[in-house]
Amino acid sequence: MKLKKITLAAASLGLTLAVTHAGIASAADSTTTDAKTQKLEEQIDSLAQQLNALKAELNQVKAQNQAIVAQQTEIATKVAAPSPMENLSLWGYGEAYYSQPIHDNSKSQADLARAVFGIGYRFDDKTTFNSEFEVEHAIASSEDAGEMEVEQFYVDHQINNSIALKAGLFLIPSGLLNLKHEPTNFFGVQRNFVETFIIPATWREGGIGAHGDTDIGIGWDVGVTTGVKLSGRDATTGLKAETALDLGNSGAGPLAATHQELSLANASNLSQYLALGYKGIPGLNVGASVFTGKAATQDPTVNLGGQRVTLWEAHSRWTPAKFDLSALYARGTISNTGAYNALTPGAPNPTPSAFNGWYVQGAYNVWQNTTYRLAPFMRWEYYNMGESFSGLVPGFEPPQAGDRSLSDHVFTAGLNFYVTPNVVLKADYQTFSINEDLSRLELGLGVAF
Amino acid sequence: MARSHALYPALCAALLLAGCSGGGNSNSAPNAPLSDLAVLGDKIFHDVNLSAANNQACSTCHVKAAGLANDNGAAVMFGGPGLDKPGLRNTPSLTYTAFTPLFSMTDDGPSGGFFRDGRASTLTDQAQKPFTNEFEMANADAAAVIAKLKTRPYLADFTAIFGVAVLDDPATALARMGAALAAYETEDQDFKSFDSKFDAWRAGKAQLTVQEVRGFALFNSPSRGNCAACHPSTSADGVTPALFTDFSYDNLGVPRNTTLEANNDSTTVSYIVALQRADYDGVHRYYDLGVCGPLRSDIGKTYAEAGVCGAFKVPTLRNIALTAPYFHNGVFSDLRTALSFYVTRDTNPGAWYPKSGNIVTKFDDLPETYGGQYKVDLSNPSSDTKYVGNVNVTEVPYNRKLGDAPALSTSEIDDVIAFLCTLNDGYDPANPAGYIKPQQCVDVQAP
Repeated sequence: MKLKKITLAAASLGLTLAVTHAGIASAADSTTTDAKTQKLEEQIDSLAQQLNALKAELNQVKAQNQAIVAQQTEIATKVAAPSPMENLSLWGYGEAYYSQPIHDNSKSQADLARAVFGIGYRFDDKTTFNSEFEVEHAIASSEDAGEMEVEQFYVDHQINNSIALKAGLFLIPSGLLNLKHEPTNFFGVQRNFVETFIIPATWREGGIGAHGDTDIGIGWDVGVTTGVKLSGRDATTGLKAETALDLGNSGAGPLAATHQELSLANASNLSQYLALGYKGIPGLNVGASVFTGKAATQDPTVNLGGQRVTLWEAHSRWTPAKFDLSALYARGTISNTGAYNALTPGAPNPTPSAFNGWYVQGAYNVWQNTTYRLAPFMRWEYYNMGESFSGLVPGFEPPQAGDRSLSDHVFTAGLNFYVTPNVVLKADYQTFSINEDLSRLELGLGVAF
Repeated sequence: MARSHALYPALCAALLLAGCSGGGNSNSAPNAPLSDLAVLGDKIFHDVNLSAANNQACSTCHVKAAGLANDNGAAVMFGGPGLDKPGLRNTPSLTYTAFTPLFSMTDDGPSGGFFRDGRASTLTDQAQKPFTNEFEMANADAAAVIAKLKTRPYLADFTAIFGVAVLDDPATALARMGAALAAYETEDQDFKSFDSKFDAWRAGKAQLTVQEVRGFALFNSPSRGNCAACHPSTSADGVTPALFTDFSYDNLGVPRNTTLEANNDSTTVSYIVALQRADYDGVHRYYDLGVCGPLRSDIGKTYAEAGVCGAFKVPTLRNIALTAPYFHNGVFSDLRTALSFYVTRDTNPGAWYPKSGNIVTKFDDLPETYGGQYKVDLSNPSSDTKYVGNVNVTEVPYNRKLGDAPALSTSEIDDVIAFLCTLNDGYDPANPAGYIKPQQCVDVQAP
């Protein structure tokens, strides 16, 4: 608007100058003419000054307009660029239990078993970082049972549509539960015993791996990682557990206390793993994996010949219609344990040569309404943490007097009630065949987001 | 068994099989040269002229051939100028003593420290004490010890390390002597040779016999011997070989040794009379409460600490077959008796404690206040089911009651002794026949 006014003023000034110049030429000899001429000159000077002022004002306005345009361009640019916070992702999960032994209510316990928070970051379309930090049993201190753990900490880089690489501390792709261990992903208040004692969920190692999917529906994952350190296992303490909750938390599995979790891990020997899975048919997941490697050096003063630790498993999950059916078998072996166990004859917790477990499980969605979902389930499982031993003195095979059996059949029946897909309330009843006094009733709350 | 410093090299030459202290090599591992401080400690350790009557050295009661304990079988050693003053406790072995942690009170009770009651927190502290103990080397005070030191041929060694001025401060100079002894006991291979048959077996250089392995299994098994619960047979830190002690303290209710002068309620020995109390329980005037005294007085005054009274430090079992007699009061002269006590203390208490008719007074060397003088009726097993006191009655093998079977049979005791005999230092796997077994190891009954 202001620009228009200045343009008109300049035009009128030009017209005025032209008319004025014609009048001067027609009255050249008279005094009046001189006076008029002087007056006209004064007017011209005045008009020239005004013209200069207008020019200055025009330049100022132009500069202001340029600044405004630049500012608007900058703002527009900023709005279009993504914020660094947009590449950040946060997630979490956790679970709390109430566990009541059927035969002894005085041993009932409640526990915030784990609270886990994850932080991820997407550097670009191909490269991401993932991490999870876990507090077990609510308080982690020197005087409490809890622990603070880094559960995952790795970088994943997509090479192309079918191959990606990962490096850092990541989960071993073994079984159904290890990679999907959030409480909304499994039935039962607590994780099954097979994927606690035989497959040491949540099992993670430090290393590098490659993974991907093929066009025919086969997924694969292969890598080299840190492995097992047998001396992490205390041979001198037998399996003691007053309750099933104690049993689950005992770390009694042959690999539970011996996998190193990248905590100052002995890396003198590395392990390898391979996992294959088929997901080509909707609702069907069939897979198997193997993890193998020589155990870390035990005692440099003793030549034990080296122990190779191998764990393999096969699993399947099928979810036709409202059913959710799954089965898993896992077996581990440790070679040359005779020489190792011979170092501590009579010890109540020798290292087994073999251990195994399996389960079958069925669930059914009986009711679903908006976000609510109710799914009862049943599971029958068997674990044996000491399928065979070598190097034991006759008469000193586990379990020794006062210790728990290393094997058991466990039957669990219960239900998962999903308030939302992210919040689940659980209840189950669990009976043990050998350790009968461990049978219990459980309630649980699980959250994952 | 006093031994003069001058005679020591000659004795070394004569007793090659036994090996001698003083920086020589052990028979299995090369020995690093001793520091000047340790060399000085070696000289002090073997010098009888540092005692009041020039007749007793550290090595008098800590004899290499006896696992650095006394070699005469006495329950307590005699000291003083006339070697006639009875000690209060059995001589502990000094082998592996330098691995002992400082004394501390933990959530599980006392731990570490030196002497059987842990009253010396460090080895340096411990090593000074016998010089001025009236029933040991019996010097009047530190000044008397330093006066003797000034006469010794190795004085120049001492002053070369610590200077001359420290001699004017006897207490400090005695502490420096303690440091030298501690260095010797820490560095010299005789104190840490780790050359037993057990060590050779661990290194794959020797085989244990079937009986030794079975004894080892009984030793480890928590439901049988459960010995390893306090005498761990595995390395504590993954580097140092097993020390066969966890340095904890325990009250085993060991029977009173009535042969000790300290346990003579009518004694006139002045330093024992000074330790007597009339207010214990009317049964005895003197009790050895271990960590609660009478040789220390800083533990046991609170209710929480009263539970440890009567507890003594768990000793290493390395060289145990060489260090008879056993326990703090030397009440048992051999391993078989000691192990039999372990497993039948509660199943057959009449074999160990005073008995009047069917009434046995268990734990007779502990005041009633702490659970001692505990009476059970052999004809009524239920009389032994409600014990309350300081004696360990919960852990295997002490968790038995009247009428129960012992945790180990007689033949199994032999098996355990066979294993314990593998813990004697001085075994050469290249020449096993050259190893001379202590008699009680020879006496083990084969299965």
